[in-house]
Amino acid sequence: MSILDQIKEVRLEFKSDLQSLSSKNDELDPLRIKYLGRKGLVSNLFNQMSSVTADERPRVGKELNQLKIDVSKQIDTLELSFNNDSNEQSSIDFTLPGDPKPIGSIHPLSNLLNEIKTIFMRIGFSVFQSSEIDTDFYNFEALNIPKHHPARDMQDTFYITDTVLLRTHTSDTQIHFMEKNDPPVRIIVPGRVYRNEDISVRSYCLFHQIEGLYVDRKVTFSDLKGTLDYFAHELFGNNVKTRFRPSYFPFTEPSAEMDVSCIFCKGKGCSICKYAGWLEILGCGMVDPEVFKAVKYDPQKWTGYAFGLGIERIAMLKYGVEDIRLFYSGDVRFLRQFK
Amino acid sequence: MKVSLQWIKTYIELDLSNQEISDKLTQLGLEATYTDNTKSFTDVLLGKVLECKSHPNADKLSICTVDVGHDSTYEIVCGAPNITSNIHVAVAMIGAELNNGEFKIKKSKIRGILSNGMICSGSELAYNNDHDGILIINSKEKLGTPIENILSFNEDVIFDLDLTPNRGDCLSHIGVARELGIATKQNVSRKKIEIRESEDNVNNLISIKIDNSDACPRYVARIVKDIQVGPSPKWMSDRLESIGLKSINNVVDAANYVLMNTGQPMHTFDLDSIIGNTINVRYAEKGEKFTTLDNNKRELDEFHLLICDQEKPIALAGIIGGLNSEITKSTTNVLIESAYFNPTVIRKGAKKIDLSTEASRRFERDVDIDSIVDSANELAYLLQEIAGGQIVKGVIDEYPKKLKKSPIAFSIEKCNSLIGIDLNEKEIIEIFSLLQIQVKKDKDNLLCYVPSFRNDLEREVDLFEEVARVFGYDNIPSSNHFFGSYDSFVKDEQHLDFTISNHLKAIGFYEHYSNSLISQEHSMHFIGGEAIKIKNPLSREMEFIRNSILPGLLMACSYNEKRQQKNFKLFEIGAVHNFSNKSYTNTKEKHHLGLLWYGESNLHWRHFEDRDIFYCKGEVAQFLNSIGFNNIHFKIAPFQGFNTALKIYYNKIQIGFLGIPDKKLLKFYDFKETPIICDISIMELREIKKLYKFNYKSPSQYPSIMRDIALQVKQNIKSEDLFKTIKEEGGLLLTDISLFDIYESEDVGNTNRSLAFSLKFQSMDSTLTDEEVDPLIQKILLSLNKSHGAIQR
Repeated sequence: MSILDQIKEVRLEFKSDLQSLSSKNDELDPLRIKYLGRKGLVSNLFNQMSSVTADERPRVGKELNQLKIDVSKQIDTLELSFNNDSNEQSSIDFTLPGDPKPIGSIHPLSNLLNEIKTIFMRIGFSVFQSSEIDTDFYNFEALNIPKHHPARDMQDTFYITDTVLLRTHTSDTQIHFMEKNDPPVRIIVPGRVYRNEDISVRSYCLFHQIEGLYVDRKVTFSDLKGTLDYFAHELFGNNVKTRFRPSYFPFTEPSAEMDVSCIFCKGKGCSICKYAGWLEILGCGMVDPEVFKAVKYDPQKWTGYAFGLGIERIAMLKYGVEDIRLFYSGDVRFLRQFK
Repeated sequence: MKVSLQWIKTYIELDLSNQEISDKLTQLGLEATYTDNTKSFTDVLLGKVLECKSHPNADKLSICTVDVGHDSTYEIVCGAPNITSNIHVAVAMIGAELNNGEFKIKKSKIRGILSNGMICSGSELAYNNDHDGILIINSKEKLGTPIENILSFNEDVIFDLDLTPNRGDCLSHIGVARELGIATKQNVSRKKIEIRESEDNVNNLISIKIDNSDACPRYVARIVKDIQVGPSPKWMSDRLESIGLKSINNVVDAANYVLMNTGQPMHTFDLDSIIGNTINVRYAEKGEKFTTLDNNKRELDEFHLLICDQEKPIALAGIIGGLNSEITKSTTNVLIESAYFNPTVIRKGAKKIDLSTEASRRFERDVDIDSIVDSANELAYLLQEIAGGQIVKGVIDEYPKKLKKSPIAFSIEKCNSLIGIDLNEKEIIEIFSLLQIQVKKDKDNLLCYVPSFRNDLEREVDLFEEVARVFGYDNIPSSNHFFGSYDSFVKDEQHLDFTISNHLKAIGFYEHYSNSLISQEHSMHFIGGEAIKIKNPLSREMEFIRNSILPGLLMACSYNEKRQQKNFKLFEIGAVHNFSNKSYTNTKEKHHLGLLWYGESNLHWRHFEDRDIFYCKGEVAQFLNSIGFNNIHFKIAPFQGFNTALKIYYNKIQIGFLGIPDKKLLKFYDFKETPIICDISIMELREIKKLYKFNYKSPSQYPSIMRDIALQVKQNIKSEDLFKTIKEEGGLLLTDISLFDIYESEDVGNTNRSLAFSLKFQSMDSTLTDEEVDPLIQKILLSLNKSHGAIQR
């Protein structure tokens, strides 16, 4: 019998086998083996291909492939229809809850820190950090805050010895960085700082700051405003307005404080902004020439700006957290909300 | 600093609203808020709500029948939540004006009901800030009494200024008036006073001797005789009380008035209690004792400056007077002191005795040395006016050290280029004239002569700030492009922390921030080097800086256990400190990652997961793996504070440890369930990461062969050793080993257990055959038997 005839035979046999099938799933596997198995009828035909003449081979090959496709397709279709009908299968309760792995959370202060870092990194700021324990020189004197200066009242300090202390702001890192690096400088400094203040709903013995420092040729107050406007819009949305007002920090001159229009009442006045319409966000200014002298930069050649903001304060505003102590409580009912 | 609007208005004409004044001050750097307690309404009467029923057309409204003592009652619609019958309220009658005439009360229909007036809230009357409900008044006054006769309203508006430490000049009404003068283009100056003097000469009565002219460059004295101490006139006590000062008597009040008016601290001595006729300004001796006005006997240091008579100190200069020379009811002759003390001397002295007074605050911030004679005159004049004294002729002005200020050279170009503006000479000079800064032209620069009340302006850059401030920070353009230098980029050492946090979050850890100030007990549990002690701690609970990341996690865990939290995982990344001689602070900062597992995993219908030490080992290895650390292994080691502890290694470097806290620790933290904790050095991870090289291996083209072996071994044989032997013997073709079953039962004997391993063999060069793998298996089994007594089952 020619191979083409054999193909026809197999087709017929398959057809009759299908007709004699009852609708049971377990009859399909023997059928699959009989036709498609390694020693099945279809494979057997493929093995005979070597004896087919070269000019017949394309046609036979095509027929044979078609047979294989038809057989497997029909078995698959049947299998699917058997499964759908099967009572056993539909008894599975697919509404049972899935099996997710529990997800953790990033601390709200880290979240905000990262968000702010990203905003500044986009405009070329690098991240730099230094130690939380520092000396009077870096924390005060090099920043133009000599001993017995009234500005020291602004910051109550924890001392370890007469000259070693827990830094009261991240501004100390300005000095560390500039001592070791020549200008230009463009860094942000996230870090933990300490204040010897009683713990209450609004204040804690430590908190986190981000300091920014930019030193280059011809940096202006107008650049400072531009950068911080960009920052405020990135963090609080394009609709907020900013306001700069004169302030005083010994290590900047001119000094300023930046407010943003209250994000809750849109500047109309509410209990959160104490009916002022503005929220105090950060302190900033042009680097004081005294600071440049302390790190041996030539103030005639270089100018720069610096800014510093408290993370907790902004996090409290942004997330509506009313008690600062919750940030350090470790209460998982608090933490798990901040994905 | 509180200032009174009426007081300010004695210097300057102001036609601005309170809000505008407040804004102007804030824009000039004097952050201001105000309380307006003045009466801002007409025709508001005391009324009583007789009846209160609900509005037929609105849920939240009520219809009140109100009696204001007129012949008939009025029906008024009210929406306040706290309205009820039988209360006394403030009723704005038809025709009343509220908010300084901005709001007129008319007859009107509210949802169909006619309302004949309005029941007022506290904020509608500007009485307080309450706008959530109507003001309920507790009063027995006759109904219909004007409400201003019942509630008290001031005649003045009080501004509260949050001053920066550089602006000592604004700790006075004239100072604030000067600033408002800048905003309104008016020149504010001191008022001239004319003094009637008696015939005596002050030089016959007293002289001044200053020992140290650096500490006290100038001392001015005047004498007023025959005064009568008594209560102050009402205008003066009102003024002082409006800004929060208590009225004491006319002499003390007059001195306070001059202080608040001019910013110059004044002191008055009872002249008759002064012995001899020389006032000596000298430093105290160390340990010298002195009783101050507040009846406090203080021990002084050699840097405290004293005002003394011939025998004894009579005042602690610039800080507080002495009890022995205080003005009393029987005082008749007064010595007025108006001096200039060195700011640092006063600051140091006040800080040491932990006392800050109105006087010391001002001296610390530097006072106007040129105006101290005027201030002395002003006080003398006031005493004459309100205490009936005779001003003794002449002023003693001891001024051994003239403080001369040189002009500041100012470059317009530099100013413009620092601020980013473009002002011309005329505009700059205009700004200086508002600041009362005199200007001379000098080639390219301006020479600026700063008035004596602005001690904070010493350098050119200080004047740049003044120009920016008066020009208005809000008028400076905000640059809309940014520049940068590639040179400014530095590597972010802490970037790894971010990756770690994100991975830990993904596998269910909550990030914790703990207080890094801990008690001594907390610092002793773990090996971490000697903890650093704070000299001036807030409390004993926060006396040390943490030397381990673990106590904070354990405290948080205990906190949560007490709040019925059943299962959670925590982590913290932070700095820990200990002593070290190698740094400039003699301390060393290290960054650590702490992990904590608590409780069982969540119950789930499909499975239950044991949170035991193996689970934790697995998670540590997994997360380290995910950040690129592949060869993590653990070694058992005794560790302080742990019951069971494992050191964690990356290759041969120890990077941390993991373990179950011991009983002592569990008791200390008061745990019911046992947490598992882990401490990893972030610094080590950063170092390793720096050296880390990624090695790519192409996947094999050839199939692998799997073989399982089950080994029966003694209980004391460690799985780690079996792994090691299998690995060694398997050679390069053995690409993976996993332990998939442990069986302990009587079939293998009580002292034995059975471990089943699955081994995967694969070659890079060819398809492996059974003939190649079988001898390897034999070799492995032989060696396992020889080294560990393992028998194949």
